Amino acid sequence: MSNSNTREQVNQINQSYWAYVKRQFAKNKRAVFAMYFILALALVAIFADFLANDKPLVAKYQGKVIFPILKSYAVDLGIAKWPPELQNVQWKNLEYDFSVFPPIPYLPTYLDYTNVLKSPTEEQNLPNGWRWKHWLGTDNLGRDVMSGMIHATRIAFAVGIISMSISSLIGILFGALAGFYGDERLKVSRIRFIFNIIFFILGGFYAFGVRSYTLSDALATSAVSLLIQLIISLVIFAAVIFLGNLLAKPFERIPFLGKKVPAPMDIMVSRLIEILVSIPRLFLIIAIVATMKSPSLVMVMLIIGLTSWTGIARLIRAELLKVRRLEYIEAAQSLGYSNWRILLRHAIPNALSPVLIAIAFGIASAILIEAFLSFIGVGVPAEVVTWGSLLNLARTHSSAWWLAIFPGFAIFLTVTFFNLIGEGLTDALDPRLKR
Amino acid sequence: MPTLLAISLLTFVISSNAPGDPVELMLTSQTSQGQAANILATEKAYLEKRQELGLDLPIFYFALSSSSYPDTLYKVPKRLHRNNLDRLIYDYGDWKYIEKYYQDTKAFELKAAGTERDSLNAQPLVNIISLVNDLYINHDDEKINFTLNKIGENLSEAPSLAYLQSDLTNIKQNYATVKSEATPWKRYVPTIHFYGLNNQYHRWFFGDKPWFGSGEGKSGGFIRGDFGISYKDQRPVASVIGDAIRWTMLISFLSILLTYIVSIPLGVNSAVHKGSMQDQIITTFLFILYSLPSFWIATLLIMFFGGGDYFDWFPPYGVHGDLPPDASWWVQFKDLAWHLTLPLICWTYGSFAYLSRQMRGGMLDVLGQDYIRTARAKGLPENKVIWKHALRNSLLPVITLFASVFPLMISGAIVLEIIFSIPGMGKMAFEALVARNYPIVFTVMMFSAILTLVGYLVADILYAVVDPRITFSSKK
Repeated sequence: MSNSNTREQVNQINQSYWAYVKRQFAKNKRAVFAMYFILALALVAIFADFLANDKPLVAKYQGKVIFPILKSYAVDLGIAKWPPELQNVQWKNLEYDFSVFPPIPYLPTYLDYTNVLKSPTEEQNLPNGWRWKHWLGTDNLGRDVMSGMIHATRIAFAVGIISMSISSLIGILFGALAGFYGDERLKVSRIRFIFNIIFFILGGFYAFGVRSYTLSDALATSAVSLLIQLIISLVIFAAVIFLGNLLAKPFERIPFLGKKVPAPMDIMVSRLIEILVSIPRLFLIIAIVATMKSPSLVMVMLIIGLTSWTGIARLIRAELLKVRRLEYIEAAQSLGYSNWRILLRHAIPNALSPVLIAIAFGIASAILIEAFLSFIGVGVPAEVVTWGSLLNLARTHSSAWWLAIFPGFAIFLTVTFFNLIGEGLTDALDPRLKR
Repeated sequence: MPTLLAISLLTFVISSNAPGDPVELMLTSQTSQGQAANILATEKAYLEKRQELGLDLPIFYFALSSSSYPDTLYKVPKRLHRNNLDRLIYDYGDWKYIEKYYQDTKAFELKAAGTERDSLNAQPLVNIISLVNDLYINHDDEKINFTLNKIGENLSEAPSLAYLQSDLTNIKQNYATVKSEATPWKRYVPTIHFYGLNNQYHRWFFGDKPWFGSGEGKSGGFIRGDFGISYKDQRPVASVIGDAIRWTMLISFLSILLTYIVSIPLGVNSAVHKGSMQDQIITTFLFILYSLPSFWIATLLIMFFGGGDYFDWFPPYGVHGDLPPDASWWVQFKDLAWHLTLPLICWTYGSFAYLSRQMRGGMLDVLGQDYIRTARAKGLPENKVIWKHALRNSLLPVITLFASVFPLMISGAIVLEIIFSIPGMGKMAFEALVARNYPIVFTVMMFSAILTLVGYLVADILYAVVDPRITFSSKK
């Protein structure tokens, strides 16, 4: 009896921290359920094209077996072309030998003029049989609501995940710099300090000032080209700053310029956070989004990401203020490891657990903000169907209950389940907080 | 204070990058399609308005730009023209030639507009002037050439316009020089221009009136309480905000009151009966309430209860009904309450759920403390233990939450005020943003920042007041 007890204890001690967290998380039934739900939604988001599309999944047409949806990916990537007989066709009306259509045979952009603002319970005009029923009704242009909701899942997840990746990157970097180095521990030579400021401004000038029109042209072309141009800009920015540090090297020989002074990382980062936090976030986001010349989802993600890193930065900063005083960091220092190595390999990984919680809650709030932006019609292109834009239609068509109920539920469930995961993580990562 | 300065800079940067021309927004002038006198008059009106708004000044104390840009580009009045010239400079790099091209085009427009009209040249003239206006806002090489040729065609349609041909050739030549003398490398050379104190930012924030005594000046500046004039209706910003803030204050006050009245007993109750069926139901219910997006609930409430096709119980929007002006205060009050019911529900439920959860957590912490056991041990009735000993101490986190309420007033209000069209701060701020009415946006942003900072300060002080263990003297 006592023997097995001690064995259990030994097992528990030998378990790694993350295995322990996993076990704690699995105990929380609600959180596990939420995670399965989110996984299912993520699958819907990934396979949206196969769930709701106007093209058949597989069909035999004129004696050939074709996979039009897969093919359309290849065409979009530019590695294949539609054969001439399939260019700009109404897929629905082709004569197939056999065909398998997706469960929802509509694209969110397809306008069904014969079924405008039809409720799911109402009689619909379906010449081709029940297969083409609009299960969740149609909107004021005859677009299928179900299809719109499926494709909007993808947008919601993209917004949540991309904007949170941006904000966690920035938050972890800034928070770690502030927390690990504080105001005194990062010593740089005077010349390097000055050069870094000058080249920071110059970097901004070359990466964004000089390229402003290249960037805005790219924004007008497509999301991909904007991303490419942004990455080029960031590379230029990094290169300019690197060059500045390189140039500072020879000057360090001069005693006055080479004298080490502390760089007040903590003050700089804390002030930045203070500024961002003191303007209501939603208002700030709408203000920045309103300055955009043309609406764009990529910009919305960027802006949400760039304005919501403060929470994560604060958490990491507070965590690292504790961690940096621990013995193992001193041990690493006495072994002569470089500061960067200690920071990246030893300090940050031990401060990540509160960030995980913040990310779960952050995704929920990013999705909520995007839904709200498209609800009031700011920043998100008008032709893109999102949960928020569907909900917005319910405001102008006050009898269309299906436009209010379904997208609203989608937003609510997604947000709630991300919040539940966040709560589950909170309990699992910090047993003291368990109530 | 440095934070406030930085915030003022941030808002300023956002606003000066926003598209749209405030002067054109204010001048609802008819687009003149011809007469030289007309063009001159609108231009003069434009310049005057621009000067009145202070937009003829440079934007900031200094500017970092490419060496191809002149330090006087801000003097070009129309924003669209300025942006286009900016682009041309970016593409071709030499202001000298571009300026000549621009000036000649303007001269050409005036000359064409001043031509005596007859039946033959009337239509070509109208065409030419609209084409010249196209020229002002296009930077694409192909488009400029196309427009120039089109002007040429129109000129040859009426013999009385032939004398303008030489001017057109002049413009064409200028454009050719712009292209042939292009120095795009110049855009990679950074230069700094200094403009001094007489700039838009300085005037907006610090004002240009003398600090002591009376003197000439347009604006007292933000820090002296002069917030400027709303572009939309030309009223002082302070009075516009004053009108709006009443509604937001009223609703926020009511909803905070309701929240505290309901959530404190609820939180305490659910903490005392922890683990019971009642507690579980309340907790789940609160969690669901907490994550319901308020704009969805608002939409649903309006749809089903707000005079739609389902239940016509409440008005869907607004704060007034059609009341006779001499209505008694009771009728007015009833009308107001009737209009505010739905908004209040939406306003309250989110913060109510949040506060109850906080209250429950705080109460649970306190109930586990030793002194509660002591109180029970000495035979105090359970009611007294909970409502007197425990409640007081568990109120700490809840009271300090009060401090964060002020800034929430503005951002929380945006959503619901838009949906219910309540003429409060949120709706006003949003409309100002969309209409690019920047004096209002500035003021709202600055005020919310100030309120947030004050809120933090108040929270810190409250912490120290309610918890004597916290001090602000630095210990090392």
